[in-house]
Amino acid sequence: MLLSRRGLLRAGLAGSAAMALGGLTSGCAVPTGSTGRNMVLWYWSGGLSDTVVEKAKARYDDTVTLEAQQIGGYYRSKLITTLAGRAHIPDIAGLKGEDMASYLPNADQFVDLRTLGADRLKSRYLDWKWQQAVAPDGSLIGLPIDVGPVVHYYQSAVFEKAGLPSEPDDVSAELGTWESFFAAGEQLKKRIPGTFILTDVGSVFEMSIGQGTDRFVDEDRNFIGDQEHVRACWDRAVEAKRRGIVSDIVTGTPDSIAATVKGRLPSQLNASWAAGDLKLQFPKTEGRWRVANCPGGPSNVGGSFLAITKACREPERAFEIITWMLSPENQAHGFVEAGLFPSTPASYAMSKLREPDPFFGDQITMDVYGPAAEQIPVAHNSPYDIALGQPIRDEIKNVGVLGKDPEKAWRDAMSKCRRIADHLGVNL
Amino acid sequence: MATVPVVDRPPAPVAEAPVVHPKKGILSHWRLYAAISPFYLLFLAFGLVPVGFSLFLSFHRWDGLGSMEWAGLSQYKYLLADADFWSSIGNTLIIWALATFPMIFLAMVTAVMLNSAVRFKNVYRFAYFLPNVTSIVAVAIIFGSVFSTNFGLMNALLQAVGLDQVAWLNTPWGIKVAVATLMTWQWTGYNAIIFLAGLQTVPGELYEAARMDGAGPVQTFFRITLPLMRPVLLFVLVVSTITGLQSFAEPQVLLQTNTNESAFAGGPDHAGRTMVLYFFQQTFDNNDFGYGAAVAWGIFLVVVLFSIINWRLVQRRGEE
Repeated sequence: MLLSRRGLLRAGLAGSAAMALGGLTSGCAVPTGSTGRNMVLWYWSGGLSDTVVEKAKARYDDTVTLEAQQIGGYYRSKLITTLAGRAHIPDIAGLKGEDMASYLPNADQFVDLRTLGADRLKSRYLDWKWQQAVAPDGSLIGLPIDVGPVVHYYQSAVFEKAGLPSEPDDVSAELGTWESFFAAGEQLKKRIPGTFILTDVGSVFEMSIGQGTDRFVDEDRNFIGDQEHVRACWDRAVEAKRRGIVSDIVTGTPDSIAATVKGRLPSQLNASWAAGDLKLQFPKTEGRWRVANCPGGPSNVGGSFLAITKACREPERAFEIITWMLSPENQAHGFVEAGLFPSTPASYAMSKLREPDPFFGDQITMDVYGPAAEQIPVAHNSPYDIALGQPIRDEIKNVGVLGKDPEKAWRDAMSKCRRIADHLGVNL
Repeated sequence: MATVPVVDRPPAPVAEAPVVHPKKGILSHWRLYAAISPFYLLFLAFGLVPVGFSLFLSFHRWDGLGSMEWAGLSQYKYLLADADFWSSIGNTLIIWALATFPMIFLAMVTAVMLNSAVRFKNVYRFAYFLPNVTSIVAVAIIFGSVFSTNFGLMNALLQAVGLDQVAWLNTPWGIKVAVATLMTWQWTGYNAIIFLAGLQTVPGELYEAARMDGAGPVQTFFRITLPLMRPVLLFVLVVSTITGLQSFAEPQVLLQTNTNESAFAGGPDHAGRTMVLYFFQQTFDNNDFGYGAAVAWGIFLVVVLFSIINWRLVQRRGEE
């Protein structure tokens, strides 16, 4: 086909006009959410069980065409830009647990699930997780998908060799406090030189913060990161370093993988979902691992939500779909398939969650995860938590990795926090 | 008084004064303007408007969703006193210098070697260019294992020659060297190809004349090749400055860990946190879009400064 010059010109003009118009209209028109039949669901890879998504599509097929889209990359920024652009907003959106606090001040972007009758489902879910989705104005912006109870993963043979308790119940009981855990670390290092119970000090600080009910900023927008509860977690991490039970290996590097396979880093304090990472990263270590309680009590890392956006034209139908997807039965499936630990305690007793796991030496891991998940303390998550926790996390890392003087590091962290708090309008 | 006879000249042909209709003048060329309009419209929509919006944003506080709050110059005031921002500029420049100078040296050596008669020239050219088109994420993962403290290739080499191992990704200087090495590896081949193109434009007679005058290969290189390669060298320097000041993916992927800490922190003591990484952290980790925009404009000013320096270098060459 020959393209004439005029034809080319016309095509170019039409194209650019369409571009310009497209940009304008999508900004002004009604939110392009559901158009009656179509409903779009946004989540990320591994954020929901694919089987449950497929089943939901089939189940509601006669009334809605549910289009489930896995959004790659930096999920929160894509969702925020889409919401801010007021175009192509999904009807149902996954909200990551660590981002939840930053959505709460903008609860008006989401449907208040209480208006759809969410309150009668409240008893189905873990209370502390439910509270994380409650905005300052009292509205509920999401239903919990999963939670991330923290446990103590350890290699039993290495513990046995070091003369430490090696059965999960014994480890839970005898290494149940931070003090006994640190003492075990010293013994481990003495009996098997070059072996460390902790990879870095960060996990001690992070899990300790999660065991409390206060974090860095309180409900009235006051900075509380300089108070005793944070300082105690800081001191605990510093002590681990002082006692020499922390490795100098960077978590997540090939170094840490090699050291873990060799049994030099036989222990990890991490969330339930880390079991999947262990299986993926260290397939050769199958059968060597066990799961015990996290020293110092239950803590939580991560765990997400499903929300309905204001762009959704059929919130009732969307609510019906998400409550079905997040039922105890389907959440149990999510755990088996995608390692999503259920936010519904009723799932914990189901037989498919109580099967022995060969990776963990045929241990029934639910006996550890379940009680941990139910006992996680309710903590206020402020939208300013990330910004104001970061300097403290950075400095504890400097103490752990660079050997920075802990007192100087604490002072540096505090002065930086004060500057940031002042800038963000957080009271000091 | 002699009167100048009036020569009856035929009236000079008065050029008909053009009727100036500026509007019509532009409009009469509407086809041409229409033809080039797609670029300008696209640039307006996806270039100029966002740039303008980011300037507007830098005078506000905004969490990305809620209402914007006028903040005046406070974001910039905070930026000027922000030690983290200044240290990120320092990191960027140090990493850039650590990467660029070895890179230019290696590229030049490679190019000179490729320029001399070798077999399989094209194979080498292809091989040297390959790092530049390899996915930066894959490269960073490989370099992560190269620079591992206990089981890394780099430390194995150091120990083989009897040196102590270095905690590359755990010390401020180690991090900078690791990131710079990655960038050097990635860009050496690309620049060698450009140098090679430059070398091939140097007339052969010059070398012949030099040889006749008794110049050795070293003298030839410094007296003939290098001066004639100066424009190419400047081009390489400018390009590497632009890419160096924008370095983001290299430290981000090399230094990220699978813990729940920020992926944009740049390792211990933020030693690998470049300007763009800092911008990203402020904007998307902290949801502080107003301050992020101010940081972006701070980066812009740094880039402008370096462009001026580059421009001055080129100017001086012109005056000579």
